[in-house]
Amino acid sequence: MGDYLSQFLRLFESYDVLGAFWVNIQLTFWAAILALVIGTVLALMRISPIPSLQWAGATYVTLFRNTPLTIIMVFLTLGVWGQLKIQLADDFPSNFFRFAVLGLAVYHAAFVCEAIRSGVNTVPLGQAEAARAIGLSFLPAARIVILPQAFRGSVAPLGNVLIALIKNSTVAAAAGVATETSSLMKTMIEFDSDVIIAIFLTFAIGYVILVIPVGLATTTLSRRLAVKR
Amino acid sequence: MRTRTRTGGLVALAATAALALSACGGDDSSGGSTEGGGTASGGGEKITIGIKFDQPGLGFKEGDTYTGFDTDVARYVAEKLGYSEDQIEWTEAPSAQRETLLSTDQVDMIFATYSITDKRKETVAFAGPYFVAGQDLLVAEDNTDIQGPEDLEGKNLCSVTGSTSAQRIKDEYAAGVQLLEQPGYAECVTALLSGQVDAVTTDDIILAGLAAQPANKGKVKVVGAPFSTERYGVGISQSSDKCEDINTAITEMIEDGSWEEAITANTEGTGYTPNSSENPPTPDACA
Amino acid sequence: MDAQPTTPSDAPDASPTAPLPTPDAPARADELGPPLVELHGVNKHFGDLHVLRDIDLTVRRGEVLVVIGPSGSGKSTLCRAINRLETIDSGTIVIDGEPLPEEGKELARLRADVGMVFQSFNLFAHKTILDNVTLGPVKVRRTRAAEAKKEALALLDRVGISDQAEKMPAQLSGGQQQRVAIARALAMHPKVMLFDEPTSALDPEMINEVLDVMVALAKEGMTMIVVTHEMGFARKAAHRVVFMADGQIVEEAPPEEFFTNPKSHRAQDFLSKILTH
Repeated sequence: MGDYLSQFLRLFESYDVLGAFWVNIQLTFWAAILALVIGTVLALMRISPIPSLQWAGATYVTLFRNTPLTIIMVFLTLGVWGQLKIQLADDFPSNFFRFAVLGLAVYHAAFVCEAIRSGVNTVPLGQAEAARAIGLSFLPAARIVILPQAFRGSVAPLGNVLIALIKNSTVAAAAGVATETSSLMKTMIEFDSDVIIAIFLTFAIGYVILVIPVGLATTTLSRRLAVKR
Repeated sequence: MRTRTRTGGLVALAATAALALSACGGDDSSGGSTEGGGTASGGGEKITIGIKFDQPGLGFKEGDTYTGFDTDVARYVAEKLGYSEDQIEWTEAPSAQRETLLSTDQVDMIFATYSITDKRKETVAFAGPYFVAGQDLLVAEDNTDIQGPEDLEGKNLCSVTGSTSAQRIKDEYAAGVQLLEQPGYAECVTALLSGQVDAVTTDDIILAGLAAQPANKGKVKVVGAPFSTERYGVGISQSSDKCEDINTAITEMIEDGSWEEAITANTEGTGYTPNSSENPPTPDACA
Repeated sequence: MDAQPTTPSDAPDASPTAPLPTPDAPARADELGPPLVELHGVNKHFGDLHVLRDIDLTVRRGEVLVVIGPSGSGKSTLCRAINRLETIDSGTIVIDGEPLPEEGKELARLRADVGMVFQSFNLFAHKTILDNVTLGPVKVRRTRAAEAKKEALALLDRVGISDQAEKMPAQLSGGQQQRVAIARALAMHPKVMLFDEPTSALDPEMINEVLDVMVALAKEGMTMIVVTHEMGFARKAAHRVVFMADGQIVEEAPPEEFFTNPKSHRAQDFLSKILTH
């Protein structure tokens, strides 16, 4: 076992492993916030009484949920940045970081939308009727009555989306973010292939450490926040 | 001894993972044809050779045909070892899996832009080198202001994830260069053609292979001022007994002119010539 | 708890009606005001099912109307159509001189003037009792929070729940929840109150505490449309009973007359079924 310890030490000394994980955490953080906003708007569109909005929301979800994330990332870098020459920042690192956040967000927004919709389904129809009956129009009714209950019902599925997002943040490599974990792992394998198992374990354990608390937190939270009826 | 056992277990685990990853690699579909693995030679046996599938000019899969300089050398060597072309089983050897493929005997030889390094020698063995590449730059055909890595100051440069070639330029030649890393060279060339990056960097022969692709021909060129040496070897397992035979084959290939022919054929139309101070190389002595 | 002099403020649920005026006799129809809710030629289908057939109905200000009928007769649909929780296929519905608008801000404004009490209470499950009652006034009427709270507590006091103001709906019994639902509707100062089978989901021992609140409300002159099978309530508080069957209004009469001498066969049949037990 001492053998492995020295291998891990060597890896941590020659590479910025924690820095790479920090990049993934930052990607996840910003993408999660953006995805939650977009996903909530989409969910509102899908439950709204206006057919064209319902259609637009459903189309977005179908489109992005069925498109591989890598393709979205490549489209953003080679299409939006490469061909359309749209820049999100002047320097490359910020530019591609933002594109990666955008790609992660638009992709996971589709899943957030469905998670929230599953939460909306836990809210009895009578809640919406009661809200309308006291004179709340659609948006206030959604904001004050439906969504607060829906979010409590969707904590668990939203947690699953977050876990997927953490792991999918490695796809940011396809958008040119080269400082994140999967890129670092590739570099390590290229130059330190003799300790490939230590490399593999480093990242496997790293992600387990990141993901397990999220799972525990969402389980606890969804239990604590559940609306009693 | 205890550590040994554990290591063995972990290697097996990694091997299983690698197997799962390369499940579509078509390792063997006809049962026991690969038995004997590394020590098989001649007769009706097959030989499994790992190459790149996605590197035009070096190792490239188009339907059922395999083209490129790596595959040409592999065919020549295999023939000298007693395997005809239809006894060769081609397998994809992505960079990250090369060591695993060899140490688990899933492939007999690897010809896949595989640089000989001391660290790699700890897990695998090498025959060759059969080519000495050097890091170079690919630029637009009409570009005249980029003559070498020093000219990249303030420019945009693309390379692939998991290589440090771009970082080396930033560290050693041009601190003000902006780096874009992409999953593959094709993406880098796309960005180069769209004008969003000024240069693509990696080994010169890889760049030449990209430049020789029909879609890119006449649009990009290799600068031709290599500033490092990458000695491409033939990856074999440490227990392999083929090293000497492979080296003999490589020397023969160079001497009878097939080597030169293969280079020319695979970089045709790009005006590329290998760095003559290093090429053709003399194979190292086997360990 | 700022108790009115007549309110025994410590009275538990057992006597929620103590402060309410005791009814002497049913209100007389000739005291009623001008038309408040008018339905003309209203039709509605659920697929092939014709649930409302050419409904014509006028409810006058201050009138208490009880709608009765077998299940599936369309009485609930009628009630829900009046504040457009159900859309109609044809016909017009006019409330206080205004035709019911399409979905949107105008409809929301009009709904605020129409109180609704549901069979399943539908209290906002994530809000306290007090917040349930103040939500409408604050968010829709833009009443100041302090003022809304004061009035809400008074209303809760009136329905006998003021000591539960900080609890969550799930902590209350069904009867209590329905009384809160009535207070929530009253907080909007509605022109008319709709009750959609308000006691059908309640355990028997809780029915009276809700009916008592409704009777008191009727005595105060609230315009009410009540879908119910509670004949006691109809006799005590209603001006008129409308009997529906198969989506049509079959018969209408003052309660006493309807219950003692129903004219149509459908009504006779229906009453014989619910009275034999």
